[in-house]
Amino acid sequence: MRALVICAFALASAIPLPAQGRPLRVRGIRPLTFGVVFPGIPRVVPRTDPVGSGEFDIRGQKNSTVLLQLTLPPSLTGPGGAAMPVTFGPNDAGYSDSGAIGAQIGFDPTVGGSGVLGKNGQGTVFLGGTARPTTGQAAGTYTGTVVLTVTIL
Amino acid sequence: MRRLLTLALACGLAVAATAAQAQVNNASITATATVQAPINVAAVANLDFQNVFPGVSKTVAVGDPTAGQWSVAGQTGTPVTLNFTLPANLASGGNLLPIGSWTGNHNTTASPTGTSFTPSGTPTAATLSADPVGQLFVYIGATVTPATNQPGGVYTAAVTLTVLY
Repeated sequence: MRALVICAFALASAIPLPAQGRPLRVRGIRPLTFGVVFPGIPRVVPRTDPVGSGEFDIRGQKNSTVLLQLTLPPSLTGPGGAAMPVTFGPNDAGYSDSGAIGAQIGFDPTVGGSGVLGKNGQGTVFLGGTARPTTGQAAGTYTGTVVLTVTIL
Repeated sequence: MRRLLTLALACGLAVAATAAQAQVNNASITATATVQAPINVAAVANLDFQNVFPGVSKTVAVGDPTAGQWSVAGQTGTPVTLNFTLPANLASGGNLLPIGSWTGNHNTTASPTGTSFTPSGTPTAATLSADPVGQLFVYIGATVTPATNQPGGVYTAAVTLTVLY
């Protein structure tokens, strides 16, 4: 009985340990928006685009090293299930510990990256990419989902 | 004692597992793009001066039955530019017949009563119709100036309209 009490106490006290009182939190802030595209004409959105680039906010224990892994769609889905290819280059993702879009360190979103949360326990991931409509691409709105998984190392 | 150790071990594993689980989190955003309908340009009618006579200029106006005509279809209500490649002469073998003084009219309905413009290689702005078809009709006229000694024959040249979003 005493052991169970000790175990329960340890579990309860262990939960906040990884973040030292500040749990890891990840939020999607801004969608990756390619805007209007034309059949046969690729549309590039740089990760430094303050309007079109995707953005994630990370909060956790300050100075924590985080592993950043993105799950990227190979295509966006449109009318009638039509697919429009999207690609992500080796410099299409960026990490900033200040949240400033101009202070990113680039990384390959297809591989993943790492960073250190800032003094305020904050980090930001920006994402660009290229939409590649085919010459016969059907008109309409196309969407896909990008997932950022953050792991504290 | 053994039970205590087992519990402690299980407890330790649980703590480790709980700790590891708490270190991972994720979130998602959407990626979106809106594809515009492609532009289709179709030649409807040739610009036809019919019979002309040496030394007598002849003009075909945009409202004439023999004016040149194209139809354009694309994204509803979208701005486009009209870009022309115009010949300086019509040709019949090695003989040339000068052509110029180009006139144009574009309209969202099939009538040459819309907006007048001067066709050229410089882009002319227009807007496709707001109906679901997203259409535009373009008319073109010009003047040919036969010389007094213009050789007889059928003179032709290509007039090209390129439409861009």
